[in-house]
Amino acid sequence: MIGRSLILDTTVRFVFDAAVVLSVYLLFSGHNQPGGGFVGGLVAASAIALRYIASESDDVRFILGIRPATVLSMGLTLAAATSIAPLLFGLGPLDHQSVEWSVQVLGAVHLSTATVFDTGVYLIVIGLLLRIVEALGDDPDDVTDPVTGGPDEGRS
Amino acid sequence: MLFLLIGLHVVCATVVFLVGSRLGRWVWPIAATAPTAVVVWLLVNAGAMSDGGAVSQKSEWVPGLGLGLDLRVDAFSTLMLILVSGIGALIFAYAWHYFGNSPSSPRAAGLLTLFAASMVGIVIADNLLALYVFWELTSVTSYLLIGLDDTEAEARSAAQQAWLVTSLGGLAMLAGFVLLGQQAGTYTISEILTAPPSGTTTAVALMLILVGAFTKSAQYPFHSWLPTAMVAPTPISAYLHSAAMVKAGVYLVARLAPAFAVVGPWRPVVVTVGLVTMIAGGLRALRPFDLKQLLAFGTISQLGFLMVLFGIGQPAATAAGCALLLAHGLFKAALFMVVGIVDHKAGTRDIRELPDLGRGWGPTKAVALLSAASMAGVPLLAGFISKEQAYGALVDRSGFDRLVLVGIVIGSMLTVAYSLRFVAALVLPDLVSPELTDRPPARRTPTFWFASTGVLLATGSVVLGVAPRVWSGMVDAAAHALDPGAHAHLVLWHGLTTPLVLSVITLGVGAALFVLRRPVASAQARLTFPVSGLQGYDAVLRSTLGFAGRLTRIVQSGSLPIYAAVIFSAVVIAPMVAMVTGRWWPGWPMLIGTPAHLPIAVVLVVGAVAATLIGRRFAAAILLGVVGYAMGMLFVLQGAPDLALTQFAVETLSVVVFLLVLRVLPDRFELRSTTIRRPLRIVISAAVGVFVVLMAIASSGARTEPSVSGEMAEQALPRGGGRNIVNVILVDIRGMDTLGEISVLVTAGIGVVAIARVGRRRPADPVHPRRRRRTEDVGAP
Amino acid sequence: MNTLIALPVMLPLLGAGVAVGLVHRRVAQRLISVMILSVVTLSSVVMLIRVDHDGPFSVQVGDWASPIGISLVVDRFAAIMLVVASVMLLAVVVFAIGHPGAESGHGSFHPVYLILAAGIAMAFLTGDLFNLFVAFEVTLMASYVLITLGGRLDQVRNGMTYIVINLIASTVFLISLAFIYAATGTVNLADLHVKIADLPDGVRSGLAVLLMVVFGVKAALFPLFFWLPDSYPTASLPITAVFAGLLTKVGVYAIIRSQTLLFPIDTRPGGLLLLIAGLTMVVGVLGAISRNDMKRILSFHIVSQIGYMMMGLGLFTIAGLAGAVFYIVHHIVVKTSLFLVAGLVEQRAGSSELARISGVARLEPLLAVLFLVPALSLAGIPPFSGFVAKLALVEAGLSSQEYLIVVASLVVSLLTIYSMNKIWSNAFWGRIVTESNGSLAPARSGWVLMTGATATLVAISIAIAVWAGPLYAFSQRTAGDLIETHTYVERVLGP
Repeated sequence: MIGRSLILDTTVRFVFDAAVVLSVYLLFSGHNQPGGGFVGGLVAASAIALRYIASESDDVRFILGIRPATVLSMGLTLAAATSIAPLLFGLGPLDHQSVEWSVQVLGAVHLSTATVFDTGVYLIVIGLLLRIVEALGDDPDDVTDPVTGGPDEGRS
Repeated sequence: MLFLLIGLHVVCATVVFLVGSRLGRWVWPIAATAPTAVVVWLLVNAGAMSDGGAVSQKSEWVPGLGLGLDLRVDAFSTLMLILVSGIGALIFAYAWHYFGNSPSSPRAAGLLTLFAASMVGIVIADNLLALYVFWELTSVTSYLLIGLDDTEAEARSAAQQAWLVTSLGGLAMLAGFVLLGQQAGTYTISEILTAPPSGTTTAVALMLILVGAFTKSAQYPFHSWLPTAMVAPTPISAYLHSAAMVKAGVYLVARLAPAFAVVGPWRPVVVTVGLVTMIAGGLRALRPFDLKQLLAFGTISQLGFLMVLFGIGQPAATAAGCALLLAHGLFKAALFMVVGIVDHKAGTRDIRELPDLGRGWGPTKAVALLSAASMAGVPLLAGFISKEQAYGALVDRSGFDRLVLVGIVIGSMLTVAYSLRFVAALVLPDLVSPELTDRPPARRTPTFWFASTGVLLATGSVVLGVAPRVWSGMVDAAAHALDPGAHAHLVLWHGLTTPLVLSVITLGVGAALFVLRRPVASAQARLTFPVSGLQGYDAVLRSTLGFAGRLTRIVQSGSLPIYAAVIFSAVVIAPMVAMVTGRWWPGWPMLIGTPAHLPIAVVLVVGAVAATLIGRRFAAAILLGVVGYAMGMLFVLQGAPDLALTQFAVETLSVVVFLLVLRVLPDRFELRSTTIRRPLRIVISAAVGVFVVLMAIASSGARTEPSVSGEMAEQALPRGGGRNIVNVILVDIRGMDTLGEISVLVTAGIGVVAIARVGRRRPADPVHPRRRRRTEDVGAP
Repeated sequence: MNTLIALPVMLPLLGAGVAVGLVHRRVAQRLISVMILSVVTLSSVVMLIRVDHDGPFSVQVGDWASPIGISLVVDRFAAIMLVVASVMLLAVVVFAIGHPGAESGHGSFHPVYLILAAGIAMAFLTGDLFNLFVAFEVTLMASYVLITLGGRLDQVRNGMTYIVINLIASTVFLISLAFIYAATGTVNLADLHVKIADLPDGVRSGLAVLLMVVFGVKAALFPLFFWLPDSYPTASLPITAVFAGLLTKVGVYAIIRSQTLLFPIDTRPGGLLLLIAGLTMVVGVLGAISRNDMKRILSFHIVSQIGYMMMGLGLFTIAGLAGAVFYIVHHIVVKTSLFLVAGLVEQRAGSSELARISGVARLEPLLAVLFLVPALSLAGIPPFSGFVAKLALVEAGLSSQEYLIVVASLVVSLLTIYSMNKIWSNAFWGRIVTESNGSLAPARSGWVLMTGATATLVAISIAIAVWAGPLYAFSQRTAGDLIETHTYVERVLGP
């Protein structure tokens, strides 16, 4: 068992912010430099996990302000939608399209549907970790009855 | 039209099933419509079938398999249809009285109608496979009918036995049909019979077909299901187990014998089995006190007789068989009806307990007397005529057929004896069971109408016996349809011939056997065969079930280590055998590329081995991480920084997640005795390792062409628009894989909550959730 | 066609993505599942018709030319599998909506079910060995989550066996992929067809057998089937039904595809396959007759019938493969409906254990009919679909003069009759005896949905029997494609 320590707590809090920024950078630079949605997601997820271990509380789950399941949902919807969308335009599945134009401050900006797909990957990796944290934590308003399901069943 | 006739049966059955519960006994007239329609059709079309003609109709079902619903009605089919539908309609009328408004009436009526449809199908099918279809349908409907009183365990097991035994034969027959069809190049029966194949394969096919015929027609040694099946209500026994279904085997033999009797061991096999059945069945019929059992064994004996006559495959015997077929249908159905009436009204079928059947039982007794006399072969009755024909067919022949004649004479003597026993039980009960001194009169008497169907059948036996001309033409046509050389000419008086003498001897000896029944019974008791058919069936079934249970306990041990060991062994052994027999080895490659590989390899190996040995979960997780990082270093050395970065990130997250999970697991692995000993586990693991290395060397040594990865690298930038090849591969070239893998992650994310919370939050659960073990340990060292 | 071919994989994934976000909206989730599976069913039917008319069709994902990119290929075999699978998935989801308890687990059922559907479709459509591995992973993870969805301790325990065994198989698959890529430098099936032919005999047959072992675990072949009867019956019933019908058939599909497409005719392990087929059918049926629970009996029969499919493959003739294809189609429908009937019995009588219930035929005559038709079909009794399937295999076996396997198949058939009789005689006949199962009683509307879905499947199995002629002719054409692979290869790699 890892006990709580002030030093760890503070360090992790500092590292956490840096790691999240790094992960976003990895996500968007991934097409040309080492990185990508998967690696970015892993970095962000590790940061969240570390913070959870350090703080021993479930509050990390609410960092993004949305439910973990919703993060997963957004990720998979983005990725699947990017895969299907080309079909609407008479193209093959997963046929990525990109545009490039120059913006004054940033220089040449390369926008590709591949990046949207990658964002889906990024979100899913984070969402998975959040769900693991949710699974391990205790959540009083999310009671599961193994037989009938639970209060959120909404069965008609 | 032929399809319509079968379809009418199905329609009637459906109506009965759907609305039967509201109709009471009125289901029977509805059900009887179908067989009556067949009889009407026969009367209308009688002309078309005489003189070797036939009515046929074809319909494709699965042409690719030769399975066509080809139907063909010739004169022999007509004869069979008279039995199946004519007697069938009478039995339906009888069932009206027997079942009355009983709640099982609709089910019985519906199933009997379906059965009648299948039976009609058997006797008019002109395609072996179609015949099989109808054949099995009779098995299924018979199963459901025998189990009509399904609350009785006896009925259920009898149904099971009948189904299993006839299915065994049916499956053998299916193989035989397919072999025969493949030999003949067609499954159409009429074509096969005009140009019959021969040879060993055909002989094997015929033997397999005979197994089917023997089981269906209750021939020794498969006979035991028939007496057991007598638990069914009597109309069912009368129809299935005397008039119709059990004749299916005889029908098949009759069809095939003229063409195939000379192929392989057909004739000796059929004749031997038939004779054994005739004599053994006759002997067994002398013993039971249950009238229905007596008739069951009598039926077995008569079926043996029919088997012999048709199985010989000679024109005269075939003709005699046709005559006996009809005569038997008449008297045996009537006798069953009598037993049903007795059972129904007197409350018992046991000879020893029969009450005094006095006033009002006259018609029933008359039916019993006349029908039993016909069965015994008493002159002026149909049975006599057919038996004379049978004797006459064999008497002028020599050698083997002489023996056959002796056999059927002995069998017929026994028939006389048990016929007398049956009649005596009803007419002179004190003669057969004098123990019961004070017989109370039967509480109820049958109405005339209950007995009327039996009276009709008995009248039939008399008419056909007195005026053979009535049916001579029909039997002649039927025999002719089977075998162009066969002709029948039925007359009452042939003159003082050998067959007549034999008939008289038969009747005399049979009567003597009845008179001397006590010594005969005691002699029989000493001579009984050690194993009865029923015991044989039980033994086979029990040992099969026992073996299945033992085998399944071994195979399905429930032990995960054993399962894993089996799979790993298969992984190693099967491909290794293939590799070694292939005798190809590319030679050992250079094992160390650069000096830097060496320390990394050491870390890898030490980390991996240590992870299996360590007792603490935490340390094991860290060691796995070490292995992963070492792999990442290899990627770096091979010049794949993108891959290495991903590997490092994955390893980091894995270790972190492990840490998360370990907080709720015990600190150490549990040391449990597992089903597989440690040395064996080490051997298997080592073997897998060695195999993977060898296979890796062999497969990379076998490479001749460049891989697609080169092209991927070339096209990543121009087509994928990215310099990071790994990323382009992930999101673009193999984006489909990524899409799949992220849905795996999503699934894991969804499922992890349900799994992690198993057993938690039960109010009565005293264990703190975080201290509870949630999953089974697998990899305990 | 371009559009259609990707839909069965990607549409369910999109639906799953949306459904995950709607965990509290049960009605919306149901709507998504039913709509998406209906569209998938429709599009697979259209594909089947097109492919039967025009021959195999392939699409390169992301427009990357083969063999670099992933090919999605639909030929007759893939199309018929896809049609049958999507009909089953649709019917079972309707059943599950009516089934109390199937949708428990935080609204996870529908998204995971859709992901399972996507995985199965991916396995049928992919023309790429690595993508097949991914498809296996998708189905494996989804099925594992579905088994444990109820959160019962026994589900997790048996799910453990399931996941560990299957992960071992996945690992071996991955290692085999590495070997294959090392030896040929490609993972595209059509490309592999060309390149594997050049490999030395030893390596080639080593790889063939290794893939057999991997897929053999998935398909539950002897001696690798033990995970199946342990794990399947513990899941919630609709899930067991869809596993029973479809999952092992994904393995069988992979075996047939890989053994016919990847390895040249002369190295095909026909004798070995027939041996395995015989052992699988015999050991499976012996397991079935020794069980006393409807679901367990039926689970063992899955194993036994996989043997029949392998028999058809092992003959390596048009007739044999046609028999196998026909058998698979029949088996999926019949097996799924039998499990659904077992579920209805469980709902109505409170248990599926034969010792605890009886008289179901009196209690609910409709259930008796719904059981009898697929049960007789399973036992190969005419005139039902199982008979045509069995006949096809027996004819194929006898014309190849493989007498032993034919004898085995007929003996197994007899034992199958015994075990169907056992279920019927114990559970359906007799006086009415039921167990109370309290809270699990379904609502009236639920019961209608469940029996409706089951009756539809039973009707389909009857339709298979009625139109067995055209279906068998189709199976023959499919078998022809499987033996004559050049059109497939040409459509993927180009002429």
